[in-house]
Amino acid sequence: MFNLAPDPLSSLALTTVLLPFLGAAIIALSPHAAGKWLCQIFSAATLVVLLDLVFRFAQAGRPSLVFDLLSYGPTQILGLTLDSVSVLVAVAVVGIGLLVAVYSASYLNDGNREHPDSGRKRYYAFLLAFIGAMSGLVFSSTVVGQLVFFEITGACSWALIGYYESPKALRSAAKALIVTHIASLGLYVAAALLFAETGTFALTAIAQLSPGAKTAVLLSILFAAWGKSAQLPMHMWLPDAMEAPTPVSAYLHAASMVKVGVYIFARALMSCGGAPEVVGWVGATMAIVTLIYGFIMYLPQADMKRLLAYSTITQLAYIFLGLSLSVFGSELAFKGAVAHIFNHAFAKTLFFLVAGSLAYTTGTRLLPSLRGILSKSPMLGVAFVVAALAISGVPPFSGFFSKFAIFGGGFATSQTHPLVYVLMGVALLESVGCFAWFLKWIGAVVPGEPSEAVKAAAPLPAGMKVVLVALMVMSVLSSIIAANWLG
Amino acid sequence: MLSFALVNTLAGFLIVTSQSVILAKTSKSAAKFYSLQSLLLVLIFLVLARLQGAHELYLWSATAFVTKVVLLPLVMLKFFGKLVDPNLEAESILPPAASVALSAAVVILCFVVVLGVSLPGSADIKPALAISLAHFFLGLVCIVTQRNILKQVFGYCLMENGSHLTLALLAPNAPELVEVGIATDAIFAVVVMGVLGTQIFRQLNTLDARALTTLKG
Amino acid sequence: MVSSSLPLYALCGPLAASALIFATPARRALLPLYETLHVASIASALAVAFKIAADVVGGETLSAYHDWFMVDALGVIFLGLIGIVGFLTGAYSLSYIRHDLHAGALDVKRAKLYYALFSLFLAMMLLSVMANNIIMMWVAIEATTLGSAFLVGIYGKKSSLEAAWKYVIICTVGVAFGLYGAVLAYANSVAVAGDHHAAILWTTLIEQAPHLDPTIVKLVFVFALIGFGTKVGLFPMHAWLPDAHSEAPSPVSALLSGVLLKCALLAVIRYYAVTVRAVGPDFPQMLLLLLGGLSIAVAAMLFYVQQDLKRKLAYSSVEHVGLMALGLGIGGPLGVGAALLHAINHSFAKALLFCGSGNVLMKYGVRDLGSVKGMLRSAPISGLLIMAGALALAGFPPFNVFVSEFLVFAAGVKGGHIWLMVICALFFTVTVGGLIQIISGSVLGKCPEGLAKGDVGFAALAPMVVLFGLVLAMGVAVPKPVAQLIQNASAIVTGAPSVALTAPWQIEAKAERSSAVAAAAPSQESQQ
Repeated sequence: MFNLAPDPLSSLALTTVLLPFLGAAIIALSPHAAGKWLCQIFSAATLVVLLDLVFRFAQAGRPSLVFDLLSYGPTQILGLTLDSVSVLVAVAVVGIGLLVAVYSASYLNDGNREHPDSGRKRYYAFLLAFIGAMSGLVFSSTVVGQLVFFEITGACSWALIGYYESPKALRSAAKALIVTHIASLGLYVAAALLFAETGTFALTAIAQLSPGAKTAVLLSILFAAWGKSAQLPMHMWLPDAMEAPTPVSAYLHAASMVKVGVYIFARALMSCGGAPEVVGWVGATMAIVTLIYGFIMYLPQADMKRLLAYSTITQLAYIFLGLSLSVFGSELAFKGAVAHIFNHAFAKTLFFLVAGSLAYTTGTRLLPSLRGILSKSPMLGVAFVVAALAISGVPPFSGFFSKFAIFGGGFATSQTHPLVYVLMGVALLESVGCFAWFLKWIGAVVPGEPSEAVKAAAPLPAGMKVVLVALMVMSVLSSIIAANWLG
Repeated sequence: MLSFALVNTLAGFLIVTSQSVILAKTSKSAAKFYSLQSLLLVLIFLVLARLQGAHELYLWSATAFVTKVVLLPLVMLKFFGKLVDPNLEAESILPPAASVALSAAVVILCFVVVLGVSLPGSADIKPALAISLAHFFLGLVCIVTQRNILKQVFGYCLMENGSHLTLALLAPNAPELVEVGIATDAIFAVVVMGVLGTQIFRQLNTLDARALTTLKG
Repeated sequence: MVSSSLPLYALCGPLAASALIFATPARRALLPLYETLHVASIASALAVAFKIAADVVGGETLSAYHDWFMVDALGVIFLGLIGIVGFLTGAYSLSYIRHDLHAGALDVKRAKLYYALFSLFLAMMLLSVMANNIIMMWVAIEATTLGSAFLVGIYGKKSSLEAAWKYVIICTVGVAFGLYGAVLAYANSVAVAGDHHAAILWTTLIEQAPHLDPTIVKLVFVFALIGFGTKVGLFPMHAWLPDAHSEAPSPVSALLSGVLLKCALLAVIRYYAVTVRAVGPDFPQMLLLLLGGLSIAVAAMLFYVQQDLKRKLAYSSVEHVGLMALGLGIGGPLGVGAALLHAINHSFAKALLFCGSGNVLMKYGVRDLGSVKGMLRSAPISGLLIMAGALALAGFPPFNVFVSEFLVFAAGVKGGHIWLMVICALFFTVTVGGLIQIISGSVLGKCPEGLAKGDVGFAALAPMVVLFGLVLAMGVAVPKPVAQLIQNASAIVTGAPSVALTAPWQIEAKAERSSAVAAAAPSQESQQ
């Protein structure tokens, strides 16, 4: 029944999944004050295990491996999949998890001017469980495994978004949970269809399906992916989820929760042995629609976090666009999309944590009342600029390279599918508009005389500084890492 | 003299008695009508036992006599004698004429259903069978249309008599213990309902089903 | 079938305890005696249930008293449920009843009555799931109503009497349909089998099913479905259920919802098995899909609008039995197995939550969700357990309800009912919303001023912790014996080739494969 392969790679991957859950259980049983330390220790330990895995995996020549964990006869129920994509995304998920854990310890305390709080152990337990569920999802080789971790991330996100327990926060949390739960029905359908047709839950079995069934399964997965990645028509939970503590927003809405969607879609496309073109058209069209919608919604936002939420929606739309274009045969677009998952994770986390630091020190995150942060806190000023440029895709920051690959792949595809020209044109316009809009806010917020709120700002805790520096470095390096890793 | 026609005739009288139970003014008289009806049922059992040579049925009729003709009515009289709601005797959501008409409709419907079913070796007793089925549904009619909660108890007893008759008609040789089980259950059901009815009467001072509306939704 | 006295022993403990408690006078000083007898009763029921289960897992079918008693793989699932949930809710009762005595909600006389009836109720449920005689099964199910009616109305308040009355009337009338169905089935069985004594047994009915008259069998199934379906709590016969569940003492609510509904479900399943063999699966499955789907739809909506915690949970029970009916209606080994697994999983999760509602009542004295706030702060462990229970019931992994819900869903899609399943899943999403509201409104948040901090006692929490452990364990991995039982049970229901017909190595291979379906506990922890 259970196969515990002696292979060290599979044991390491399994440890990466289980260690955070163990940590969460230990935190639940420990005294209040131990929570933040245990959370950092366990997320650091998880990262160490994962890096060991990365090292061995690279030494083995980055093979594509599938380990069967639980199966009955021909029915594979749970398993691990290791290839360059899953390992890359796992690094982002676990690495940023550690950074957020460190940042949270400095953020959730009485010095916080926006939300003074003592940092309950519930927070740290769910954060760790979230990290575990994310690595579980990333390494799952079956639809059932994906579904399980999909739902666990949903439940954890509910607990984290509603952490402040204000009625508004709880409502937003419930909204996120319900919307993503409805989305999970897509995975339910996909798993059941796959099982009905092939007798197994293994993702690789998608390739054996008849074209009709394959389309149905892929579209079901795409539906689930839209929900988690906040694409139209299931986008509304994301801006509301900004009620969460900012480190949670950073983790959920930059690195993990929203990446669940794009990742399961990417994984399905990788496993399906050539998707029907209709999947590409549906995915690309909805991506462009979401892109336009997200861009329009930038304009009225004054709350920095809500602006970032809509920016996340559009950046995810780029990833969907890249993935969908790969259906038409563009390898480059696929690699660009996966690299963009990685790059966007670091850049957007940085941006969210800058927002968090501003709120922590000044007590506000309304852009109009922030001015002159460079002179008050050079560190935050630089971080703001780096984050904004990385998100809008300005070289030499990471966002540029992955976006470039998506565009390159897209225009290459247009040779055979002229309609794609239209889509790419729209995307290019958005890209320019996004750059202009972020440039406007850089100009308004970073230079000049400090405003009232900024002048009265408290100093930035050391823990936050460390995290911000690490993220700034990654905002430059991540695309190099991704490009080399994916080849 | 003894023939299936007699069974069918007696069964026909059952309908009359059950109609009397439904329309009886007081619980006491309803209990008496019920006793009378059970007596008819016992007679049917005896005739069937003779006709089909089913020895178990003699035993049945003995048990049925003890439990249904004597014990149950006594239990009812004991419990229900004290429970009198002067504002609410035999109040129905239907006028008596409509109630009779509804019963007639039920009987006709059951005849149609039973005649449509092919039962091996039961052609002679089909009318009685239809009546037993109708009896069952008349009990339901009683429960639905009567406002006095005690009448709901009688309704249950009518339903139970209906299934009892069906059992005797279709499976006259069933083990005696089965019949005892059913009869005992009926007695306990009436006792439980009696105790609960008494408690409700003490608490609410009424037996009106419309008063039981605290719990909703 | 192996003759065994175990089924009779199972009844002895609870019946004797009940009689003894009835026989002792009602005095405050005798409370420890009632409690001792009560514990002996529930412990003996649990022990014998486990012993029987161990035998049946080994592939035997036990019978007793001229085959009037029979425990097969199907029955033993429910027997085990009665044993486990009966024991845990019984254990929970100890502190709950003491609390009520202390608070003056009950006097000693009623406390004594409670313990006596609890054991009687337990005995009647045990009888109903071990009955091979179709009329005896009816008698037992009817007796469960009569035994538990006073438990529902034990507080003697206006509302509890009303609930008890509705419960008795609706269920006895409903179950009278079951009697009529049983009588028709027996009559037909006699006509076919000829033997008056054997014809009354389930085992005979199953064998003779192909020779039964199709019209009568259809009638029988309709009567049985209405009759026992009333007791199962299926829409539209569910009207008694929210009242009884909300007015009964919480441990009894747990027992009603966790076990009683399932006992009646077993009766429906037995008739279903006969009907499938007699007239083919289409007719009964259509009816079950219809009632199951309607139950889910209606209960989900009514669940959402309730403000009373226990009424909410009651409607959730209607919804979940609807899902079980749906699983049966989908049919096939997968559908039936999933329905049976869901019956087990729902029992544990719902018993946990009803005990949780008991803690709420002990702590706050009200069930109105508008007044219950900040459970996690005022009673942290209870709050945590309620939260976990609600998440489990909402169908989130790694808890058990997710596993069986997913399996029903998969079975439905496999059976070609994809749209029905999607619609039902959407209704379940409404329930998820409602459960989340319970957590965010009542478990989280600030607790009211003036409420003493501190959880309910250990004695009330321990059974809940065990239930939580079961909920989690069944979610992580269905134990092999349970998977095996479900596999055998669904073979009994669907009439797949019996085990004896295949060679041993085939049995092994088949068991492995279909328990895959039953035991697809999709969580990574299971590998540890």
